[in-house]
Amino acid sequence: MSNPQICPNCGAKLPDDAPARLCPRCLVAAGLESHAVLAESAPEAPTIDSPAASGFVPPSTEQLAGEFPQLEILSLLGYGGMGAVYKARQTNLDRLVALKIIRPEATLDRTFASRFNREAKTLARLSHQHIVNVFDFGEVAWPTAEDQPNRPLFYFIMEYVDGVNLRQLISDGKLMPNEALAIVPQICDALQYAHDEGVVHRDIKPENILIDKRGRVKIADFGLAKLSTQKEGEFRLTGTHQVMGTPRYMAPEQLESTHGVDHRADIYSLGVVFYEMLTGEAPMGHFDPPSKKVEVDVRLDEVVLRSLAREPARRYQHASEVKTGVEQVCGVHAAPPTDHSASLVDPPAAGDEHLYNTVRWPAIAMLVGGGVNLTGFLLWIWLLSRGNYWHDFPLLIGHNPEATAWIFFLTGAAGIPMLFSGLKMLQFESRRLALFGAVMALVPLSIFVPLTAPIGIWVLAVMTNSKVRAAFRHA
Amino acid sequence: MPGKETHRLNNANPGGFATTQWSIVLTAGKPNDSDAQVALGQLCELYWYPLYVYVRRKVENVDDAQDMTQAFFAHLLESGAVARADRCRGRFRAFLLTALRNFLANQWHKEQALKRGGQRLKLSLDLDAGESKFRLEPSHECTPEKLFERRWVTTLLEHVLERVRAELVDAGKQDHFEHLKVGLAGDSEAVDYQKAAAALGMTPAAAKQAAYRLRKRYRQLFREEVARTVADEAEVDEEIGRLLATLRE
Repeated sequence: MSNPQICPNCGAKLPDDAPARLCPRCLVAAGLESHAVLAESAPEAPTIDSPAASGFVPPSTEQLAGEFPQLEILSLLGYGGMGAVYKARQTNLDRLVALKIIRPEATLDRTFASRFNREAKTLARLSHQHIVNVFDFGEVAWPTAEDQPNRPLFYFIMEYVDGVNLRQLISDGKLMPNEALAIVPQICDALQYAHDEGVVHRDIKPENILIDKRGRVKIADFGLAKLSTQKEGEFRLTGTHQVMGTPRYMAPEQLESTHGVDHRADIYSLGVVFYEMLTGEAPMGHFDPPSKKVEVDVRLDEVVLRSLAREPARRYQHASEVKTGVEQVCGVHAAPPTDHSASLVDPPAAGDEHLYNTVRWPAIAMLVGGGVNLTGFLLWIWLLSRGNYWHDFPLLIGHNPEATAWIFFLTGAAGIPMLFSGLKMLQFESRRLALFGAVMALVPLSIFVPLTAPIGIWVLAVMTNSKVRAAFRHA
Repeated sequence: MPGKETHRLNNANPGGFATTQWSIVLTAGKPNDSDAQVALGQLCELYWYPLYVYVRRKVENVDDAQDMTQAFFAHLLESGAVARADRCRGRFRAFLLTALRNFLANQWHKEQALKRGGQRLKLSLDLDAGESKFRLEPSHECTPEKLFERRWVTTLLEHVLERVRAELVDAGKQDHFEHLKVGLAGDSEAVDYQKAAAALGMTPAAAKQAAYRLRKRYRQLFREEVARTVADEAEVDEEIGRLLATLRE
């Protein structure tokens, strides 16, 4: 267990009072009937005595190979409550695909096949750049034990997404607010599209949000999807634990019943994911708005909190509205697709024109102020080299050559950090150096203090702005 | 049969309670019904701490808070307040909180006068231990009601986990709990079976099987505990849903 303070199941921070250091929410959720159905159906499985019944052991690639002649099964990508996913090559098209198999224990129910077919058809109908494509689905006969008849193994063949999921990004701590702001609109697009098609995801969570190497978001596992246009109860996806989403991300109405849940439950889950992306933890209890926990635009608070409204009617009513909300806050273009294999060199410049301008003008003023100081210093050197001694210079202080020398020297000394400060600000690099330059501009070292002091104040004001601070921190 | 075996983690523990004690209390409807008294007493002994926390949040003085809590339970057990409980509002948790609120608002002063008249509490509540526990409570801004709900859930969970642990101890498998408990809050993949198996001296497959049994038994006991506090077993899932919602708020 990587971090004892975080629930390995739902990713939430463990409260201090967690019994036996286990996540109370997951403990309570584990008691639900929907979980029990799965457990109680297991003893009927012919393989009860094998570990497969007590916990799903994904078949090896060799075992699967014989069942899927059209595929070359390359590796096991992962497995979870619902089944396992393999990386495979579709040999005739020479493309990589993901093969998802449903764990056999989840399919014992007689009506599963028809429900599976219905769900798969719905999923295959969805075609969107931010939704993992379903290419094919079906069932193959799966040998269970020597003396037992074969059972169907249900599978999907899906688009292979080469990248990471959002959970990995969040737990690596690699996710910057401006990247979160680039991811959210893409999720919104996908959800809006699916909702328009009458499909509710019902299990939006970081594990289901994939980001490929080019930074494109792909939502996977519309596994709980349910046709919202159909009558309640007519299309209840799986009778087992999959009916429930993941408690932490579930809308209140979803927690209380699986009925009466519409697309706005997805908007709530999106709000939880959004909050977690910004702050690193899911909202719990009396949670603070994001801007209180991290340096993000306070206007984002409203977007996040409105997505998280308890009452569906008080939430955003459409995923597209969440996108509009985000875009209004961060300017039309959020950061470009993120590439996590490369480090981000200049995120604020790319992410926010406005922010860039905020910093650019004081930076230029700083360069000018530093330049003036340095010119004064160089002038003095030049006069010195020409043999024009300082007592001939009009700016003598009480005809004190030493004092004059010091004044010019300090003028130059103040100029150099100011120049560096301006440069660093333009590059969004060192906030400390920028602040040092501002202080140097304020300290009456130079004869140009009347000019540089206002610049120093300006820079200090800009550099203490929370958004600017955040931009520097992340750069 | 393996199916039978998973029913209990061991067969040595004869303990166990009637399933829905709260329904016994409710159906009795008479203050002096002894079954109901016993059932209510058992419930109170389990869930007094959330109530104490609530009172303590309202009352600064430790002695007063302890007296009030004691008096409330005495009042509850002896006055037949339960007989007046609204059947429709079913849940023991809700009933207890409402009764306590009313008691604090109306009854407390009357009880004060009667106190020295010899009303004696039949429950053994370690209020001093409760007080030391209370001192560790975070002093955040959550309302006494919220804190009550939260403590209710933790008390319930602690109790269920304790039962699971006790069963394992009886079966001589005390190490299982520590190594496999992660699986209780997650699914079967939450446990590192290689590691657990090494620590427990068994094969990973056996560890997986043990974790499965543990999860199943936990679920059974958890539902049993929740069932004790609702009027009808059919309400268990609903109550679990509400408990989950409590944890989110």
